[in-house]
This record gives sequence, C-alpha cells and structure tokens, in this order.
Amino acid sequence: MTQGKRYAALALAILGMGAVRMPFEQALSKELFAAGLLPPKLEVKTSERIGQTFSAVSLGGLRTLVATFLNLRAFSYFTEQRWAEVGDTFDTIVDLSPRTRYYWDTGSWHQAYNAASHYLYESKLPALRRKLGWRESILKGRSFLERGIRNNPGDPVLRERLGFLLADPNKIAAFGDVGKAYGDSYDAYMSAVETGSGRGMAERFALYSLARIPGREKETLAMAQRLHKEQGANTTTMLSLLYTLGYHQDPTQSVAALIDSVFPSHEVAYDVLTGLWLRTRDRFPVHGVAQGIALLEVELKVPAEKSILKKDLPSPMNPDDYFQPNR
Amino acid sequence: MNPLSQTLSHASRIGVIARHAFTQLVRMKVFYFLAFFAVILIASNFFNLPQHEGPESAGINILRSIKSWSLGAMTLFSVVLSIVATALLLPKDVEDRTLYTILAKPVPRLDYLAGKLLGVLLLVFVSLAMMDVLMTGILHLRTNMVLADQMAMAEARSWPAADIALLKSDILAQGPTASLQGAVFSVFLRATIIASMAMLISTFSSSTLFTTIISFLIYFIGHFQADARAAYLTQEAGTSDSFWMRGISLLISLVLPDFQLFNVIDAVIEGQVMPLMILGKLTLIGLFYFVFYVIASWFVFARKEF
Repeated sequence: MTQGKRYAALALAILGMGAVRMPFEQALSKELFAAGLLPPKLEVKTSERIGQTFSAVSLGGLRTLVATFLNLRAFSYFTEQRWAEVGDTFDTIVDLSPRTRYYWDTGSWHQAYNAASHYLYESKLPALRRKLGWRESILKGRSFLERGIRNNPGDPVLRERLGFLLADPNKIAAFGDVGKAYGDSYDAYMSAVETGSGRGMAERFALYSLARIPGREKETLAMAQRLHKEQGANTTTMLSLLYTLGYHQDPTQSVAALIDSVFPSHEVAYDVLTGLWLRTRDRFPVHGVAQGIALLEVELKVPAEKSILKKDLPSPMNPDDYFQPNR
Repeated sequence: MNPLSQTLSHASRIGVIARHAFTQLVRMKVFYFLAFFAVILIASNFFNLPQHEGPESAGINILRSIKSWSLGAMTLFSVVLSIVATALLLPKDVEDRTLYTILAKPVPRLDYLAGKLLGVLLLVFVSLAMMDVLMTGILHLRTNMVLADQMAMAEARSWPAADIALLKSDILAQGPTASLQGAVFSVFLRATIIASMAMLISTFSSSTLFTTIISFLIYFIGHFQADARAAYLTQEAGTSDSFWMRGISLLISLVLPDFQLFNVIDAVIEGQVMPLMILGKLTLIGLFYFVFYVIASWFVFARKEF
C-alpha cells in the first residue's frame, strides 16, 4: 500500500469512527444537559464581554475557574462602587457558572443591598437621582435573583433570599404595592418549602409575610396555629401573631384570657406586645395590641407617664422620607 | 508460543517501554509543577482572597474556590503535559537514536507506541493523583473548619435540628466527595484522549512544534464539536448554504473528539453529584478513543522508514 493510499485509508477510518461514536456522544450529551451536568452554551454577548482569551480558556473546560477570577474582579468593582460594572461582571459570572448559588446570591445582594444603600446615603447626588438609583438597584437585585431561581428551580435558598428581599422593611417601598410584595414574598418562601429541601424556618418566614397581607388574617391564624403546634415555634413574632390574629378573629373576647392562652407569662406578654407596637416599619398587624398593653400596664404597675402607648411611633419606611433634598 | 504467553510477552514489552518513557519524562523535572500547584492551593486556602461571605455562607465559597483552582490547574497541567510530552517522545527517540536500537530488536511497533503512550499516561496519572491527594487533604481540613464555624453559628441562632442537618449536608457537598474523585478521573480521561490523538499526529508530523500546535488547536476546537454536531443534526437540508454548513459541521463532528462532555467537572465544582453511570460512559468513550488512536498511530507508523 502506498503512503497516499495509507493516509486515505486512515482518513476513512477516522470518518468511520466518527460515524460510530456520533450517536453515542449525542445521546450522552443530551443526558448530561438534561441532568444539569453540562452548563448551557455561552451566549455570544458573554463571549464578547469576557474577551477572546477568557472565551478560549472558559471553553477549554475552565468555565468555573474563569468565573472565580471574575468574582475577584467584581469585588474590586464593588470596593470602587462601580455598580454598573459589578452588575455586568455578575451577569458574565452566572453565564459561566449558572448553577452556583453563591454567585446569584452575591450578585443580587450587591445590587439590592450595597448599591441601594450607596444611593440612599450618597449626599453628592441629587435627591431624585438617589431615589431612582435606589429603586432601580433593588429591582435589579430582585430580577437577578428571579433569574437565578429560573436557572436553579430546585434550589430553596435562592427562593428564601427572594422572600427575604421582598419583605425587607428597608426595601419593600421600592416594589410599589406593599401588599403585593408581601404576597410575592409569601409565594417565594412557600416555593422554597415545596422544593422539599428547604429549611423548616422558611415556612415560618412565609407566615410572617402572609400576616402582612391585608384580608388574609384567617388563613394566617390557621397557619400560625399549625406551625406553633407542629414545630413548637415560640418566637416573639409567632406569639405576637397568635395574639393579634386571635384578637382579629373575635374582637369581643376577653383580652386577659387571650393573653393567658398565648403567652407563658404577663411579663413576656408585655415585652412582646410593646416590641410589636414599636416595630411599625415591619408592618405586622396590631389588632388588640393597644388593649393588651393597656391591661398589662395596669397589672404590672407601669407608671402612666411611662406608658409605651404615649410614645411617638416611628413612621414606616417611605422613600419620600429618605430622599428629601435636604437629607 | 501459546496465545497467553504471547499476550504476556506483549504486555511485558509494553510495560518496559512505558516505564522507560515514564523515567525519561520524570528526568525532565515535570514534577516541579507540583510545587506551583501547592502554592496555588495554599493561596486559595489560607490567603483571604477578596470576596464576599455572608454569615450563613461563610467559608462555603472558599471550598468551591479550592476545587475550582485545583481542578483548573489539573486540567491545564494534564492537557499541556499530555500534548507536549507525547509530541516530544518520538522525535526525541529519533534524535537520541534510541528508536533505531529498539526497532532493531524484535519489538512490534504497536508495542513501542502503546508503551510510549502508556508512559505518558502513567506520568499524567501519577501527577494527577499527587495533586488530588494535596487537594483532597486541604479540602478536608478546610471543610472541617467551615463545618465547625457554621455549626456554631447555627446553634447560636437556635436553628432547628433539621435545618442544621441541611446546612451540614450543603457544606459536605462542597467538600471532598466521591464525585470530586470522579471529576479528577474525568480530567485524566480527557488527557488520555488528547495524548492518544497527539500520538497519532506525531506519527506523520514533521516536527514537535507542528504536533503541539495542531494538538492544542484540536483541543480547543474539540470543545465546539458538540455545537457542530448539533448544527448538523438540526440544520435543514435544501439550500446551497445549508449544504456547505452541514458538510462542514458533519466533518468537524466526525473528525474531532467531543471534549465538551468532560465539562461535567464544572458541575462537580458547583457541588453536584456525578452519577457512577455517567463516569462509566465517559470512561468508555475515553477507552474507545485511546484504542482507536493507538491502532491508527500504528497503522501510520508500521510502514514508516527511519
């Protein structure tokens, strides 16, 4: 066999080998994508953003390593408060490593918390610019988390983070309709529970969000009673909800009897109810709280001039209060 | 000579050549790379690299970083070593005239090639194993530190037992797992394919540089092979454009290996579990390429005159 024929035979053998392995490789590739073991293809804009060198490296089986480098770069942008670059870098990072919860969590946190706080306190900017920047950052953080959840539908923690953000008293005004934000927060927490791998406390947080949706008091009380019984949940907020929602269900009942049925002692009841009374920014229901405090103050001999009911209450978070031109 | 003796004789010859190739490569001081790897590991573990950690994730990202740096370094090292070492072997034997001495003896050329390739693969395997031991050791220590910190945090916050158990399993999933060992083995399988392919190229190439450059090109283009295959399978026939595009896509799919399959390593770094069945299939693919490329190399090399 001449050398030419030999090479021709080799070429044919390579093509034949390719034809034999192609169906197997195609099937395995599909299986790996379906199992989430292969990341989705890089978008063209991602390749453009990371540049040719990084593209080659990331396509050469080093995507997570490139993402790790970019995470370090994002930190530099954060320290320089270059929020647009922080956002762009995290967009690239999650394209490279879409199944890493940390990147979604941190990217969202930078926008919704760090960038938003920057605009809240940046006195060199005009009030309107600050207000817009604050709101946009929070909405970007939310949308980034929602994208993370779509990419990682089985991850309960990202859902919990979304629930937390939506119910955060310092952020909730950015979402417009407060009641709807609490509803979305409840849904996010419950979806974390429904993944089957969420933390038990996620359901309690869902309850706290549900409690702040007007008109759903009955449902909230039933859920609070169930969690109190099943999980033995005795947190301050849980006790205060059992009291306020219990009162809401029947305002004619005896306040003293309700206090005795919910709280372990009158001192605890006073601590919990006064705390709730002052936590106006948390927007929890306060049905019967004033009545309960009044009763307990008499019983615990609190001087009238020291009554908590006579104190001025802080106003709930409102962007208009925070972005006055003179602040 | 009965078939069993013949097989043993082949195996013995291949073993001798592989050991020789391994020694030859070790003398080139390739293990110095391990010192560099150790520095990378120490940097990723003990230096506080600038990144964010919330109280509920403190330390967990460090575990991912250690895996990411380590497996990245292993990938780079194994690919470079596989290509360069394989590209060097034949020309070096010709230059040292060792090849003439060997081929003058009753050593089948297939045994010679298989031995040389196995020598390279043994070197890659030993290097990866040493890096793996380092990585696993450091990861084990760090995982225990993170676990202790996080358990203390959870207990201080009076987390329920079920939530603490979840946190624990989350942290352990980022530590040294069986899937991580599977990922290291996948790095080795990818190196096996690239070394076997470099061996085939070196049998007809005119220089070490040519073999090295072509092998690296194939390595990178091999990561697009799956895209070319998908394009071929999804494009509609009919127009002249699609005819040419389909032709080129088909050619790439048939000729080049699909290296993208081995990117499962990324999923393992992210904490996912690699099922044993998947590792088995990847091993089959690796073996398939290895056997084919060795036979193809022998087919070219068998009639080559020196």
